[in-house]
Amino acid sequence: MSFLERIMSFRLRTKFVVPISLLLIASILTVSGYLIKRQADGFRRELRTSGETMVRILAMNAESGVLFESRYELQELLQILNQFDAVTYAAIYAEAGKPLASYGMWSESDIVVKRALDRGARADTIGGGFYVKNADGHEFLELNYPVYSRKEILSRETLGMTSGIDQSLGQRYVTEQIGSIRLILSLAKVNLSIAEAQKTAILLTVVILILTILVLTFFVRVVTKPVQMLVAVTDQVSRGDLSRLVEINQLDEIGHLANTFNKMIASLRQSREEIEEYNRNLEEKIIERTIALEEAQAQLIQSEKMSAIGQLAAGVAHELNNPLGGILGYAQFTLEKMKKNAAAAGLTKEAESYIRYLTDIETQARRCKNIVQNLLRFSRSSHTTEFEDVDVNQVIEDTRTFVEHQLLMNQISLTVDLAEDLPLIQANASQLQQVFTNLIINAMHASRSDSQIRIESRYSPAVGEFGGAVELRFIDQGHGIPPEIINKIFEPFFTTKEVGKGTGLGLSVSYGIVKEHGGEIKVDSAVGKGSTFTLIFPVQKHPVDADNSLKSGIGV
Amino acid sequence: MDESVRRSVLVVDDEEIIRSFLFEVLSEEYDVSLACDGDEAIEQIRKRRYDVIITDLKMPRVSGEEVVKFACDRDPQSKVIVISGFSSLYTVSQSINNGACAFLSKPFSIKELMRTVTNALCA
Repeated sequence: MSFLERIMSFRLRTKFVVPISLLLIASILTVSGYLIKRQADGFRRELRTSGETMVRILAMNAESGVLFESRYELQELLQILNQFDAVTYAAIYAEAGKPLASYGMWSESDIVVKRALDRGARADTIGGGFYVKNADGHEFLELNYPVYSRKEILSRETLGMTSGIDQSLGQRYVTEQIGSIRLILSLAKVNLSIAEAQKTAILLTVVILILTILVLTFFVRVVTKPVQMLVAVTDQVSRGDLSRLVEINQLDEIGHLANTFNKMIASLRQSREEIEEYNRNLEEKIIERTIALEEAQAQLIQSEKMSAIGQLAAGVAHELNNPLGGILGYAQFTLEKMKKNAAAAGLTKEAESYIRYLTDIETQARRCKNIVQNLLRFSRSSHTTEFEDVDVNQVIEDTRTFVEHQLLMNQISLTVDLAEDLPLIQANASQLQQVFTNLIINAMHASRSDSQIRIESRYSPAVGEFGGAVELRFIDQGHGIPPEIINKIFEPFFTTKEVGKGTGLGLSVSYGIVKEHGGEIKVDSAVGKGSTFTLIFPVQKHPVDADNSLKSGIGV
Repeated sequence: MDESVRRSVLVVDDEEIIRSFLFEVLSEEYDVSLACDGDEAIEQIRKRRYDVIITDLKMPRVSGEEVVKFACDRDPQSKVIVISGFSSLYTVSQSINNGACAFLSKPFSIKELMRTVTNALCA
């Protein structure tokens, strides 16, 4: 990883705070260092200036003292320095370097002062000032200055003489060095002030730095916090979790970004919901279709079953007819013979019982014949029946007359509610009557005394490709059909009646007839409440009729 | 009608019980011959004339329909009665179209049979 890459991998906050802090430290240190340096220079210059002034004044006032070597006077003079605490040491020397007076508070450790004392007055140092440093780092400024004596020159002119003018006599006075003065000033105070200034500057730097870092951190936080939130939400979104929005209420670019991002999440959510909704609908549709398909399949199986049963029944019926013919024929034949014989020769007891047996055989054979005929009717195909325009209401009324007596015997009332606008349908009236009779008799058998059977007819107009239809309902209040057998009631030989009471062919024959009419028969039943049989017959012009009328129209 | 002359009847059926039953019933009044299938029936019709031919429809080899057609072609005066267990409107109309004068649906009673034969002969 290169240096640049390492920097780029830092967190946003570090990237902001570290360089700004470094820059700040550098600039503060530069500025305060420069200022402190200037201040220090100023202090030193001031000290030196005042020191030089002091030494000059001292030199001027020391003239007579040095001239007359008056130690006392000089000592007095130096006492003035009391007022200046920067003065560590002062001394006045005669011209030969002989010390005349000294002043000072110095300790043995002040090696600089000691050395200066040992050195005595030296001509080479006069006029200059220099800084010296003690072993302990204590700094001093040493100033040496000459003490002059001014001698007035008495000239002739002054004395009133004008002749013999000497050039040198033109001078009014001459100056002569008669001694020197040395002043050692301590820079301790100055350096202390400078150190204090430095300390203050450093303290200030640290304080400003801390403040800056705090403020920066705060502001960087203001910037990075929403960014971090954005990052967190983005992470969630990338994992597919759309439940969270970015909660940033700012008007700046980041607020704008957050808004845009929220909009994006919202549209993602919406499209995801749409997809889910679509999937749900799809599933529902699949389930719906599957159910419809299963129903259709069940119906198909049922009708195939019925048709197979029909074919089987027809085959069986035809095969039964021949032996049945023999049985019935011979029974009748023998019966007639025996009756004739009995009439001629008188009826023996034996003959009487034979006649009874034969009668039984004939009766049972006839019953077989009826069963076979019903079976054949159930399986009959459409081209065997003649159709004509039939008023279904009329057929119902006819059937009613036919069964009225039986209903009366069972104390069951029959009400009819027939639509007046019923169209004619293509049907075989006697077959319809057979169906209606069967349904009414079944209803009667299922009903208790004093209950009601109701027949309704109505017209359902054409809907879509399905033409109009006549709908009939046979409603009873009987014991109903248990759900486990409701699918079997149209099968041949299925019966719930006692043995010998029903053949189990009534409803299957009705089913065959209704199918032959292109109609449908359905049953709804609730155990204990009753059953409703619904018959639906399509209303349509017979295609042959339409064809004929067209031909005759053209031909004639 | 001349009572002294017994009319001739040919019974055609592949079922033995039907043949023998019809023989028993009809031979009291008529001169009855039997044939057990269409082939045999046509053979017999070729040999002689019958007043009434009673035939089944569904038989092995040559069917009753062939018998009906043949008999009517050969002698339009012969009366053909079709007896069948397949008593659908289709088979009935088919038989009538082929020339049969009556159709008896199996099983039938003796009364029905006698009435039909008598009617056929009177027509």
